[in-house]
Amino acid sequence: MPPWGARIPEAAPLHPFTPPALAAAVAALAILLPMPWGPPALLAGTVVVVVAGGLPAAVGRALRVVFPLWILLLVLHGGLGPAPRVAVGGLGLSRSGLLLALGQGARLGAIAVAGFAAAATLRASRVLDAWAARGGTPHLGYLAVATGFAVPRLLARARTITEAQRARGLRLRGSLAGRLRALRALALPLVLGLLAEADDRGLALETRAAAAPGPRTPLAPVPLTARDRWLRLGALALVLAALAWRVAR
Amino acid sequence: MTLRLDGVRFRHPGSRTWALDGLSLAAPAGAVTWLAGPLGAGCSTALLVAAGLAPRVTGGIREGTVRLWHADPGAGGLVGRLAYVTANPAHQLSGVAETVWQEVAFAPANLGWPVERIRAAVDAALDRLGLAALHARDPRTLSGGELQRVVLAAMLVLAPAAWLLDEPASALDAAGRDALAGLLRSEAARGAVVVVASADADWMAGVADQLVVVRAGRAVLAGAPAALLAGEAIWADGGPGSTSVAALARAVASRAPGPRTAPPWPVDVASAVARWR
Repeated sequence: MPPWGARIPEAAPLHPFTPPALAAAVAALAILLPMPWGPPALLAGTVVVVVAGGLPAAVGRALRVVFPLWILLLVLHGGLGPAPRVAVGGLGLSRSGLLLALGQGARLGAIAVAGFAAAATLRASRVLDAWAARGGTPHLGYLAVATGFAVPRLLARARTITEAQRARGLRLRGSLAGRLRALRALALPLVLGLLAEADDRGLALETRAAAAPGPRTPLAPVPLTARDRWLRLGALALVLAALAWRVAR
Repeated sequence: MTLRLDGVRFRHPGSRTWALDGLSLAAPAGAVTWLAGPLGAGCSTALLVAAGLAPRVTGGIREGTVRLWHADPGAGGLVGRLAYVTANPAHQLSGVAETVWQEVAFAPANLGWPVERIRAAVDAALDRLGLAALHARDPRTLSGGELQRVVLAAMLVLAPAAWLLDEPASALDAAGRDALAGLLRSEAARGAVVVVASADADWMAGVADQLVVVRAGRAVLAGAPAALLAGEAIWADGGPGSTSVAALARAVASRAPGPRTAPPWPVDVASAVARWR
């Protein structure tokens, strides 16, 4: 049997609450920084920090989410914006509309990249331990963490149901009516399965003292290091500076 | 110490019929009590009521008395002292543990045990269930049998005074069933109340000390498993039936009646061989 230390996952480099705090600061800065060049600069900086932090996959995920929105913003503001117009690939697009689309798109991109990166650093057990160490109400912490981490399980179950229904002849493509029928065939077992699971899980968790009133024991120490403090303070200072500039302008 | 249900009636929320309708039974400490009955007889509901989960968590209406150590589990004061295990281990995971070790430590941490006590208890439970090699695995990547052992370890870690298990062997292979039987026997020997609801007569026949047959929400037969399984009464009125050997003996008797094929039925291969040699 290996020693106790080997049973606990290797400590993450940051306190679990630090990445969400940084992501919140990025979201605030995305709104406070001046358009149109502030958000693109913020997006570039966020991407550099996230990639340097070893989370390039989070950038990819975020860009896949915001890319359709970028196209929408481009068409909406570029196509329908006021004159003067500039020629882009043979199309006459509004110059001010393009700048607005750039700023808003970068704003969404920065928020998405920071959010996905923060989510990628989170580990349920460390969040619970940090919550317990701060003296938070255990069952509220559990409820929040379990709900957040249920999303991947939900997606996996949806994929399983989709595969099973396709194996039984369900066609996911075709007319709108056909797709709606397919959606019903997928949603019904998903929802019913979740309800049944919720019942079982509620009973099991009650037996396992998930709603125990006393303080929860952190299974591993979650230190709040000087680096965490400086990062949080730095982010807060940037947000306050941006806010002051915005108010003074 | 005994788990005792006296005249218990229970109705699920929204239901007009009583799932338990005057159920009385006594499950003594130090023995494995087996609840058997046809589908819908009320065995699973009896476990929920005995665990204090119904109606406290599930809702519904309960009448009659349930006592464990002279306390009513339904009051919620025995959380952490009762082990409740169902047939679907995946539904019993905490959902917040990245390793088997953390999963087993979930309940002790919730109860605020000192961390040194948690370490010792979790290590012992993992060893006892043969899970030491899996301690760092993500529970979501385990097979059904491995997962069921994790769920059992997550209960064993509490050293519960009472075990209430609903079809606990359904996801286990033969080796897992043997291990579970050993666990139940040793927990009973430790002095725990052990109650198992199961339709698997072949497995339970070698595990249980007493059998309670439930039908329509009430106990209709109770006694030593060997005697009840060998008799005809357990087959009556769509009853749960007996072991596969006893079922075979009944089938043979229906085609070739005679003194050597009359009840009591042999309940296992050894008794069948001894009788028909």
